[in-house]
Amino acid sequence: MDATILPEVTAAGVIIKAILILAVISAIAGFGTYIERKVLAFMQRRLGPQHVGPYGLLQLAADGIKLFTKEDIIPQHANKIIFMIAPIITAATAFIALAAVPVFPDFTIPFVDVYVPSIASDVNVGILFVLGMMAAGLYGPLLAGMAQSNKWGIIGSARTAVQFLSYEVVTGLSLLAPIMMVGSLSFVDFNNYQSDGTWLVVYQPVAFILFLIAGYAETNRTPFDLLEHEAEIVSGYVTEYSGMRWGMFFIGEYANMITIGVIASVVFLGGYNDFWIFPGWLMILGKIAFSFFFMLWVRAAWPHVRPDQLMWLCWKVLMPLAVINVVITGIVMMIG
Amino acid sequence: MSEMEPAKNMISIKIDGVEYKAKEGEYILNAARANDIFIPAICYLTRCSPTLACRICLVEADGKQVYSCNARVKEGMEITINTPNILKERRAIMEVYDVNHPLQCGVCDQSGECELQNYTLELGVDSQSYAIPDTKRETKNWSSVLHYDAGLCIVCERCTTVCKDMIGDAAIKTTKRGGAALDKDYKATMPKDAYAMWNKLQKSIIAPSNGTDYTNCSDCGECIAVCPVGALVSRDFQYTTNAWDLKRIPATCAHCSSGCQIYYETKPTSIADRTEKIYRVTNEWNYISLCGAGRFGYDFENRVEGKDQEAFTKAVEAFKKAKVINFTSVITNEEALMLQSLKEKMGVKLINREARAFQRFLDFYSQASGNSLYTTDFKEVMATDFVMSVGTSLRNDNPNARYAFNNIQKMNKGAGLYFHPVGDNLVPTFGKNIEMFTHKVGQEELALLLIIDLFADHDKLPNSVKEQLDRDKLLEALGKDSEAFAKSFDKMMKKKESFSLMVGEDLYFHEKAENIAKLIAVLENSSSVKVAMIPPKTNSLGVALICDLDDEAEGYTIGYNALGDFRLSALGDGDLDMPSMNQQEGTLTNMHKRVTPTNAALEYHGYELNDIMAELISAPKYTIDWTPHLPVEKGFKSINFDDLPNEYKNDGTENRGYLLDTTTKEVGEIEVDKFDDSTVLDGEIAYRCNPQRQFNDFTNKAHQIFEEFGLYASKERAETLGKRVTVEFDNGSLELDVIVDERMDGDIVAVPDFKSAENIYELFGASRYQKVIIREV
Amino acid sequence: MGLEQFKNRNVGTQNYVKLDLPHPPKNGWCAFKQVLSRSLKPELFVGLWVALREMINALFRGQMHTTQYPLEKLPISPRYRAIHEMLRLLESGHYRCIGCGLCEKICIANCITMDTRYDENQRKEVSEYTINFGRCIFCGYCAEVCPELAIVHGGRYETASEQRASFSLFEDMLTPIDKLNLQQEYQGFGAISPNADENIKKTPLAY
Repeated sequence: MDATILPEVTAAGVIIKAILILAVISAIAGFGTYIERKVLAFMQRRLGPQHVGPYGLLQLAADGIKLFTKEDIIPQHANKIIFMIAPIITAATAFIALAAVPVFPDFTIPFVDVYVPSIASDVNVGILFVLGMMAAGLYGPLLAGMAQSNKWGIIGSARTAVQFLSYEVVTGLSLLAPIMMVGSLSFVDFNNYQSDGTWLVVYQPVAFILFLIAGYAETNRTPFDLLEHEAEIVSGYVTEYSGMRWGMFFIGEYANMITIGVIASVVFLGGYNDFWIFPGWLMILGKIAFSFFFMLWVRAAWPHVRPDQLMWLCWKVLMPLAVINVVITGIVMMIG
Repeated sequence: MSEMEPAKNMISIKIDGVEYKAKEGEYILNAARANDIFIPAICYLTRCSPTLACRICLVEADGKQVYSCNARVKEGMEITINTPNILKERRAIMEVYDVNHPLQCGVCDQSGECELQNYTLELGVDSQSYAIPDTKRETKNWSSVLHYDAGLCIVCERCTTVCKDMIGDAAIKTTKRGGAALDKDYKATMPKDAYAMWNKLQKSIIAPSNGTDYTNCSDCGECIAVCPVGALVSRDFQYTTNAWDLKRIPATCAHCSSGCQIYYETKPTSIADRTEKIYRVTNEWNYISLCGAGRFGYDFENRVEGKDQEAFTKAVEAFKKAKVINFTSVITNEEALMLQSLKEKMGVKLINREARAFQRFLDFYSQASGNSLYTTDFKEVMATDFVMSVGTSLRNDNPNARYAFNNIQKMNKGAGLYFHPVGDNLVPTFGKNIEMFTHKVGQEELALLLIIDLFADHDKLPNSVKEQLDRDKLLEALGKDSEAFAKSFDKMMKKKESFSLMVGEDLYFHEKAENIAKLIAVLENSSSVKVAMIPPKTNSLGVALICDLDDEAEGYTIGYNALGDFRLSALGDGDLDMPSMNQQEGTLTNMHKRVTPTNAALEYHGYELNDIMAELISAPKYTIDWTPHLPVEKGFKSINFDDLPNEYKNDGTENRGYLLDTTTKEVGEIEVDKFDDSTVLDGEIAYRCNPQRQFNDFTNKAHQIFEEFGLYASKERAETLGKRVTVEFDNGSLELDVIVDERMDGDIVAVPDFKSAENIYELFGASRYQKVIIREV
Repeated sequence: MGLEQFKNRNVGTQNYVKLDLPHPPKNGWCAFKQVLSRSLKPELFVGLWVALREMINALFRGQMHTTQYPLEKLPISPRYRAIHEMLRLLESGHYRCIGCGLCEKICIANCITMDTRYDENQRKEVSEYTINFGRCIFCGYCAEVCPELAIVHGGRYETASEQRASFSLFEDMLTPIDKLNLQQEYQGFGAISPNADENIKKTPLAY
């Protein structure tokens, strides 16, 4: 690679970073399925996958091979184009959202001395961009469910709509208070705001909790996995999907889980600032990992709620709380 | 009560306080059984003499303990079956039977139908009070069919009893076992009868009575049938199946004219082959005894996989151009009726030599006597105490006739006269009062004249007979010394009340058959002698009654189990397969004048005669739909096949099918020809006669019937003949192996006719005896 | 409850008895209070703790439940009735079956068939024996009735096969002669498991 310092934003740099993010995150998303199966198994005192590769590590590869080689079935009466596009929407939006999220501190590649800002694109409305992308991601399940001409799919997409209408307001409102404090929509600014070592969660615990709840809803995780809850609606919006199309939904879902983890870490948990003796990159990795683990933990421990309960919870409990939080934050800032 | 015998001499007895009717002079046991009352008994056989081996049938009659199998009922007798003492005796007896009896019931063939098992349970034997060291008892094969496991034997002596009293071979007897002596203490402590029974049991075992390890008998297997335990089992059957796995199919044996009731017992062949197979034949041994052919000759079925359309079409064509149908007597009444219908509608001629000879004889007889059929059956014969036999080789022609002859000697303290040109050394052993007349061939009329002379009321005789009656001359001609005979005849006649005569095939195949039939009619008219006839083959009587048979015929011939241009065969070697007798339903007319049903024991998938009928004339759906259409004018009844019973009742009544109706009409005086010597044969003579267990192609097909097709001769004669000979008849010759029949006597040799392919009837023509030239090969 | 009531399929007309449940919240405030109380009560976190505790138990305290089935198998109850086994005599190694046919007779599914014959040693020999496992209901009567303890139920419950015949012939069921020393007697219907003592739990009444 050329030894010159790359301009801060060059087309080549962006593309390289985009490809890297795409590759790494999709790999991690796949690996996430392994982690999820393993963790859930342990919490139920089982072993989880363990036959493919050491400790079942290559289960991911086996699943990948399976998904890639499986026949791509499109139901006869499905709306073919939408049916085919829907998973791409989910996966694409999940990855696009990651464009504005800083995962690592900026660093310089050793020996070649290339300075690399870790964020693909430090958009100044980063948070809005990410939230918008993730919201758009829900079009995937919505369209998929409606396109496949399957009643479970329809119910799945109806639930998607319910979920969509529920959490989006809370996500926005819960992040509004930290935004007010930081005064920026850029994730980098959020990070820098906490560089003194005081995490935003200390000032905004309510916002953090609301964000977590909304984030779980956004990623379709238990207790809000209404969209494809197997016990109730077979597989919901993915009922008719198979092979790689089905896989894309899940890459999207796991990418979203990582995104939520990153946002929670950057916005509330001190970002990639160094902490005590731990370097920033390790800190953020740890935080994201814990966030991911917590999602699995919750899934192992808690039951899920009904769609109407989710809606009730978001609109009647969480939204008022978020509004009150914003108001209180504003008052405190006015006074302070 | 038998159907023929009206309820006579009935007395009333009381059993356990309830009043019952019983025949006078009957044993208590039989009287109880006839009234459906159970008295335990092991060693007793209904038609044989009481053995008193088991002593378990103890009852109290009028206050005294008696054995119900040999104490006769008396008017007003009061019988108690169970008293405390009797129960103690019975229990002790069963315990004794269980001493040293192996407990491996699992491998025993009798398990499940074992009387030792049954009575042990019935009498609640749950502990054993007696013991004695066991003696080593060897398992032996007595003959090609008999297997004796002495270890299982309880020496009830049923086998020896039946062999002596019913079969007449007396081939087995009790012998010394060499067992340890009973403990002296038992005499004081044990119930008396149980001790006595044990004492005898401990000393004896069964063995062939000729002193060797092998029985010299007719291999009838009746000892196997009566054995209450698994000691006697057929070698072929042994360990092949359990009694409860077998399906019992009531049927009628189709080998000879006895038409015995049998059960075919079937089960799938093996795990791999699920087609049913007959494993054995059983019988109601208390009421009917089988011969070796009936018991062991059961696997003659014709296995046919499916309907051979092509052969069937050819068969129909053959029938259309046929002039003659040649068939044997191994045929059901229904099939005979079908053939008769063919004759009526299509004008074919029917050929069946043995049935035709019998038919002619019956015609002569009924013209002379006015009876539509002979008047007696063999059950009645068995109840007489003086029996005579003319014109039949008793040992070979019909087992039931032979058993009757023997049983009369043993059970009725009877006497017998046996007229036959072929000497026999078994018949004299049946009893002490038997006179053998080994007369010349052709002297049968003289035999009948002698009988008339001996028994007839001379006043009633027509002159044509009277003038021929010169006892001394007759005796001389028949080869007897008149003084000696007079003496022994006086002895024979003591206390004799009923007389019977059996006549057989020799008389039907006889130049003077008409005259002989007349003599029989004369005998019946003028004496109390009852005459029973032995139909030559299985259903000869039925065929003779149903079919209008022809003497000679020429042209395109269809053979049904017989020779012909187109052959229908149940043997599997014909142009079109037919079901064999164990594969079809139908009725048979046996020598007891009884029409008995037989059932299909095995599957048959091919065409039947009825299918050909349907194609040619018209036919109902099933063969048995012909049953009610059997000719009523000949004595048959219009009864549906499914309404025909096939069983014996507890009192021995034969409740099987129905009896033929017989009618009598008045006839004028009988004119008899004078006897002349023209029919007497001298020189080298062959007799058409089958070995003991062979009757037809079907017995020959069965794998347990070993008697070969050969020239049978007495031991002395066989020595002069050599190993293999050609027998030259007037119209052909045969090459045969010489086989020794140790029970034959004299110079006449026997040529079997059981192989229809050899066409023996053609060689012998109208007589059973032919002059032949025998040369060693 | 009578049969008539039980047969009444008209849903809603039966006399259902309501359990003593708390009343649902009457208005929004009550519902809000309910949510708050449920959320703040420690149950949610107890749930999290339980899940975590089980993971710790599994990973670090050796309390993993999984039996790695094809590699390791749990001991099966002696009462278990799997594919039949034909046992041999321990001394001679000859098979125990004497061909008595009682199993064939008692079999209520009619699935046992045997062929027997008279062998050279004047014994009853089982020449072929088969159980139709398509029909067998594994009731165990055959093992119960066997006078020689010859046919027993083994522990071989893995009965997937290309064809049923793979299990059903005499040789398949017979203890291999080289494994005679491993032959286990069948304890039968009333048998208790080897670890029955461990499984006994104290009951309030007993102490």
